[in-house]
Amino acid sequence: MSIEGVYVAGMGLACALGNDLASSLTALARGGVQPSPVAVSEGFRWPVFMLPTQDGSWAERLARTVRSVAAQAGEGAGGRSSPLFVASSSLDIGNMEHEVQDLRLGGDLQDFAGLVAGALGWQGPVFTISTACTSALNAVLAACDFIHSGEVDEALVIGAELGNRFTVAGFGAMQLLSPDSARPFGAGRNGLVLGEAVAALRLGSRAARWRIAGGSNVVDGRNPSGTEASALIAMCHGALSQSGLSPRDIDLVKVQAAGSPVNDAIEAQALKQVFDTLPPLVSLKSLLGHTLGASGAAELALLVACIEAGAWPSTGYAIDGELGIALSSQAPARLRNILLNVVGFGGGHASLVLEDCTA
Amino acid sequence: MNAGSSVAWRTVAHFSADPLPADWRDQLAHRLGRRPRRVGLWTELAMYGARCCLDAAGEDALPTGARLRVSSMRGAWGATHAGLAQLDAGALMPFTFMQGQPALMLAEVGRCLEWQGDAGFALCRDPQQLLQLSRIGAGSAGLLLGVVEEERNGEKPRSEWWRLVPA
Repeated sequence: MSIEGVYVAGMGLACALGNDLASSLTALARGGVQPSPVAVSEGFRWPVFMLPTQDGSWAERLARTVRSVAAQAGEGAGGRSSPLFVASSSLDIGNMEHEVQDLRLGGDLQDFAGLVAGALGWQGPVFTISTACTSALNAVLAACDFIHSGEVDEALVIGAELGNRFTVAGFGAMQLLSPDSARPFGAGRNGLVLGEAVAALRLGSRAARWRIAGGSNVVDGRNPSGTEASALIAMCHGALSQSGLSPRDIDLVKVQAAGSPVNDAIEAQALKQVFDTLPPLVSLKSLLGHTLGASGAAELALLVACIEAGAWPSTGYAIDGELGIALSSQAPARLRNILLNVVGFGGGHASLVLEDCTA
Repeated sequence: MNAGSSVAWRTVAHFSADPLPADWRDQLAHRLGRRPRRVGLWTELAMYGARCCLDAAGEDALPTGARLRVSSMRGAWGATHAGLAQLDAGALMPFTFMQGQPALMLAEVGRCLEWQGDAGFALCRDPQQLLQLSRIGAGSAGLLLGVVEEERNGEKPRSEWWRLVPA
């Protein structure tokens, strides 16, 4: 998809690091936070990066957090008749866990977006985008389509992944989770750590610092629980082509790497096939966890906040030397075009090119 | 070139599995040359409808540049319900968990259409808005659009598909 003139007008984030971007940057500067153990059944606990503790029910917590991140993004300035895209993998399954069995699944898959829209008093069309880990990036691409078509001037993307035992148990049963910590591209990495996050991206046609230059979504069903090299390469080439860029124009890659022994290695090898010389790489999942359907929006918001604040998400573990890659320990000196990659469950591979128009 | 909202669209093929033939799963297995494994009923319904629609359009494979878009209000209801019950019982639930994921359905539908490309799962209470979302930004190869619903509490199953291209 080629995008002209779609800009990030505002951002908000609530994640394990903090309830907003400022507190998240403060926690990041202190070295991050530790995941909390979540019990899924007798004797089975997995670490999860949880949002700071709040009172109230699951739905009340959702509503309060959505209102907070939307306010951080500057929502409320007249955009509520524009489209709202709610991106999530787990949707409201966490809410259902508290229901008695006979009342579960009595509604439908749009109910979660209805809760989000209700929290915001949203009047415009409300869409759910649910493509597992690529949900939020696909929501951004869909919002860009609407704005680019001239149908609307603004759209709001809410990426939301709130705590539930169902998803933790499912990933655990598939032996995808680390019992201790997330170490993307790390030596001795042993799986991913899930995370809660709610992120807001307010997109618009009015010029701003950050422009979404292009993007790509490639689904390949051959490896439904992992990264497929040919799809990742096609995704990168697609995003670059749609942005009118070549690999040498990219100054930073925000990688998918979640800490999987196999998928991280496939990603590293595929990136080497896209780039003759690898640009600096950055990873955020050791700080946020893998926030699944929210990850595209959450990681975009945190990375942009880091760049704007002059902070940098460093890792505190050794990188796997056999991968032949490194994670950047500081912001690149030249930083105009950023490739943000997300790879998901179900063979989904999505990418955005973000341009700093002031660089 | 992308097809904007002002572009007219042509329906190349429309398929609705109504009524669903008693032997639809055998028909799908025969058409694919294999019986789908580890996929749930919802995904199999999607695969059946998508394959039949593409056959009706006279296409062996979905063109690379086409979009695949699927919508479903109930989703993989049975697999999710079973997974939640297994969670309550403290049981492992790898297959029912996977079967409940829309992304896994997209992957399997893409695979049965011998296709790698832009697939998405989206919902909206207004069907016209959903159609518009699917069309905006789609390229000249058009899209394959499906609505797939599992049977639930007497509500009939549905697998209805359209192969659409810019006119």
